[in-house]
Amino acid sequence: MSTTNSSSSSNPSGFLRTETFTCVWCGLAVTALTPDGHRRNHCPSCLHSCHVLDQVDGGPSECQSRMTPISIAVLRNGDWMVIHRCVRCDELTANRAQVDDNQLILMRLAVRPLAQPPFPLEAFGAL
Amino acid sequence: MPRRKVRRTDRRPQRAKDLPDRRGSAHTDAFRCVGCRLDVPLSAPGTAHRNHCPHCLTSLHVDRRIPGDRDADCRGRMEAMGLSVRPDGEWMLIHHCLECGELSVNRIAGDDNPLALLRMAVRPLSDSRVPVRVLLTL
Repeated sequence: MSTTNSSSSSNPSGFLRTETFTCVWCGLAVTALTPDGHRRNHCPSCLHSCHVLDQVDGGPSECQSRMTPISIAVLRNGDWMVIHRCVRCDELTANRAQVDDNQLILMRLAVRPLAQPPFPLEAFGAL
Repeated sequence: MPRRKVRRTDRRPQRAKDLPDRRGSAHTDAFRCVGCRLDVPLSAPGTAHRNHCPHCLTSLHVDRRIPGDRDADCRGRMEAMGLSVRPDGEWMLIHHCLECGELSVNRIAGDDNPLALLRMAVRPLSDSRVPVRVLLTL
């Protein structure tokens, strides 16, 4: 989740629906909730996130730096996860891809390994 | 197809690894994979740090924040979860600890199983629901 404009509230119904944050990368103001009611932790337009949670020790992180999307991982149920890495301290997070995320960037991340294979893929044609 | 020459001049050389005592083990030149029980030699082509099994790509959660610090108390099994690509085109494996959920990024080694790597690479596209929905909205 990126920098919040307002502190989180105890009543999720009325207040959270209008809560917004500004993306640290593209500057887009986005709502904190997705259309289907999940809480966002990355910008739906550029998929960048903000390092606010410490993944190793837990709790809030003092890094507060930008996190770039580096890859797509697939859960057993077929859902896509976006893997983020902090540009400052290299910490990793995995977040579920939301319904209104930028599909072009998601697809770019998913096919990027196949575009630059470390070995010739022709050998797999014989298998 | 001729392989492209990847220029690697601006890369920092890999840190030298001073191996700590392997908890009283006599065999310091090999380890046994926790996933497939394969005996794996520690020396790997193309990298100074072998951190996953070349056959099944499973790793062990031993490092905490810095690679090689052996500081983690978890010692859980880490399974390969996805692939990421560096700007210079090198593939990186993303491991996910099954015990504590921690993530780590590791370079692939020269003797990693290409079939397992390729399976990992096409996994987002293998289930047709999400990619078809993605391509329809583009």
